[in-house]
Amino acid sequence: MNNTKLTVSHAPFWHDGDSLFQKNLNYMLALLPAAIFGILQFGAPALGVMALSLSCAMLWELVINRISKKPATIGDLEAAVIGLLFGMMLPAITPWWIIVVGTFVAVFIGKMIFGGIGGSPFNPTLIGMAVLMMSWYMFFDFDTAYVDYEFAFTALAPLAAVKAQGAAAADMFALGDLLMGREVGAIGATFGLGLIIGGIYLILRGYARWELAVSFIAGILVTAFLFHAASPDAYAGPLFHLLSGYTLLGAFFLITESASSPVNRIPMLIYGFLGGFMIILMRNVGAYADGTILAILLVNVVSPLLDNIRPNALGKGMNNA
Amino acid sequence: MIKRSFFALSKPRLTYDLLEPQPDEPQTIPLPDRLLLLLADTIDSTRPALIKKGDPVKKGQKLALYMDSTAHTISPVAGTIQSIDNYSDDFGKIGTSISIAPDPKKTSDIAPLDISEELSFAALHLQKLPGAPPFDILADENYTIRTIVITGADTDLLTTTSQYVTTSHIRDLEKGARILKQITNVSRICIALPEALNGNAPIASLQVLHTGAVYPDTLPAMIMKDHLDMVLPAGKTPEDMGICFIRAEAVVSLAKTFETKALCFDKHLTLVDKTGNRHRIKAVIGTPLSSIFKQLEIQANDQDRIIIGGPMRGTAVFTTHHPVTPDMDTVVIQDREILPKISDTPCINCGKCIQICPARIQVNLLVRFLEVDQYEEAADKYDLDACIECGLCSYVCTSQIALGQYIRLGKHELRKMRADV
Repeated sequence: MNNTKLTVSHAPFWHDGDSLFQKNLNYMLALLPAAIFGILQFGAPALGVMALSLSCAMLWELVINRISKKPATIGDLEAAVIGLLFGMMLPAITPWWIIVVGTFVAVFIGKMIFGGIGGSPFNPTLIGMAVLMMSWYMFFDFDTAYVDYEFAFTALAPLAAVKAQGAAAADMFALGDLLMGREVGAIGATFGLGLIIGGIYLILRGYARWELAVSFIAGILVTAFLFHAASPDAYAGPLFHLLSGYTLLGAFFLITESASSPVNRIPMLIYGFLGGFMIILMRNVGAYADGTILAILLVNVVSPLLDNIRPNALGKGMNNA
Repeated sequence: MIKRSFFALSKPRLTYDLLEPQPDEPQTIPLPDRLLLLLADTIDSTRPALIKKGDPVKKGQKLALYMDSTAHTISPVAGTIQSIDNYSDDFGKIGTSISIAPDPKKTSDIAPLDISEELSFAALHLQKLPGAPPFDILADENYTIRTIVITGADTDLLTTTSQYVTTSHIRDLEKGARILKQITNVSRICIALPEALNGNAPIASLQVLHTGAVYPDTLPAMIMKDHLDMVLPAGKTPEDMGICFIRAEAVVSLAKTFETKALCFDKHLTLVDKTGNRHRIKAVIGTPLSSIFKQLEIQANDQDRIIIGGPMRGTAVFTTHHPVTPDMDTVVIQDREILPKISDTPCINCGKCIQICPARIQVNLLVRFLEVDQYEEAADKYDLDACIECGLCSYVCTSQIALGQYIRLGKHELRKMRADV
């Protein structure tokens, strides 16, 4: 009798071949158009910021893996996505130490202390960004950041201008310019069209959930429209809000972060809408010019609560029916 | 293996394989020089055994270990018992395997069978027919079975055994169903058949339930929901609800047994080889898979995987000598190069399992409890017992978590815990 040593495991014996590596690789691929545009627009410093941010995020994760004596997890590219997103949300002239500190906060406090991938109750990138914004607010003033640059367009950060001068300032920025990236802002957040293409790619590939993106955009548009309708002089229109600041990055890449968002359809729709609503509320009523970061962190908190709205499992709860 | 499509906006559709329009006759595997029979009973050396090594057996002879054993098996050949050994199944449950060497000189040595259309007779003698008719459940007074559903549609992917047996033995099937009705006295017998196969199988005497083409439409819980207007309550079996599912092949074997007044032992199988080709096979119950592989010139190497019962719901076996059993419809052999990876990465909440789960279970939350052995909480709060074990969550899992294994283990441990209380 020969004794062939077979592989034994439990059903199912098929897998669709998807993996975290694939998912995160596709996220990075989808971010590329906007990232490359950022480099073309803001030059080598932008490349430097994103490269440092991406590599720092991965290195921090590796260091934490080593310290906690766990196998290295950077191979799933989650840290790379955090790093890339982080870099894309910074102005091109950000000093290196800000990036080192920020990625540490994002990867360590945002992700690793919750047990690594999948455990973070908040979007890790946004945790890092929020801490930086609170601590060194001056580095996030896009108007002063690009004083040494010469642009062929209005070199004013749209949201800050609207915050300072009222809704009339929005007229300085043509919607087409905002869509095509003819504005100053974070490296990867200005090229609206690139973000939209990347986002639609992710949704079609099934890596980002459309419910989140669509309801988020709906939340932005509806809330901004109501504000604008109530007082056109004080508040900018819905499309301006949609195309400026971090909004599109938020809609396709930040709110769709899977660990911190709900999974059932109705909760996803409420969650996304709430995120959009909060952003406009912060921009129009709050102190910050762009509320995207804090608004998404805020709705992260309600995600588990929303996910309680769920269907009854098959054969459960029929006594009430 | 069906891979993820490039665009994956909607949930993936795994479709059942449909029987080819002109199916080939099954290839008959010659009787091997050693048959292996599995018996759900444990060896206890302190008790006087009914059978021992070297005993002659007749064709159709009932074999049990001890006087009071309820578990039995039936020898498909006349010959000699070569050995009686332990084996363990995939949950570590110990059973007994009996090895029999057929004796070609004694082919006429057949145990007498006094056929009668009684449920007690069927429960005693007909349970090991090809297709494994569940007469023990039908005879059990704890169950009131009102409906019998014959599964002419295969319940797993790749396989077409049930469809083949149904379409090629329609007259036997109808006859078997009449006998079944006579024996069991149930009020309703129907047959589940793929809708696309309707033309090939004109069944007049039975109500036909047309099942869909998408997995898991033919699983018992889904048939009950879609066709019998009855939702299977979580944690219950169809039998608890008065519905018994029975393989088409079991019904056909029943008809043959009553016609020939003798038990039959030829089991139909679909074997899927490493290249994905389907082989239709007829082999005597007890034939080791290694003999079938040899016949078909399939090489099973180290680290390959042999699956009994299909890629989504089957069980992997640890030896190539695993025998053909009455309830085995499908054998799949996977090359070690294509085995999907399993990882211990935590759930990332991507929601694909939620989207695809036919039982609407919050798999992402459930797995967090199962990973830390909190089975009671998993059942109470996150519907562990509502799972119909289709395996789709595992199939789509981005983190490549062995969800199917966690859920099966969870149910197994929960049963143990509840039995202990």
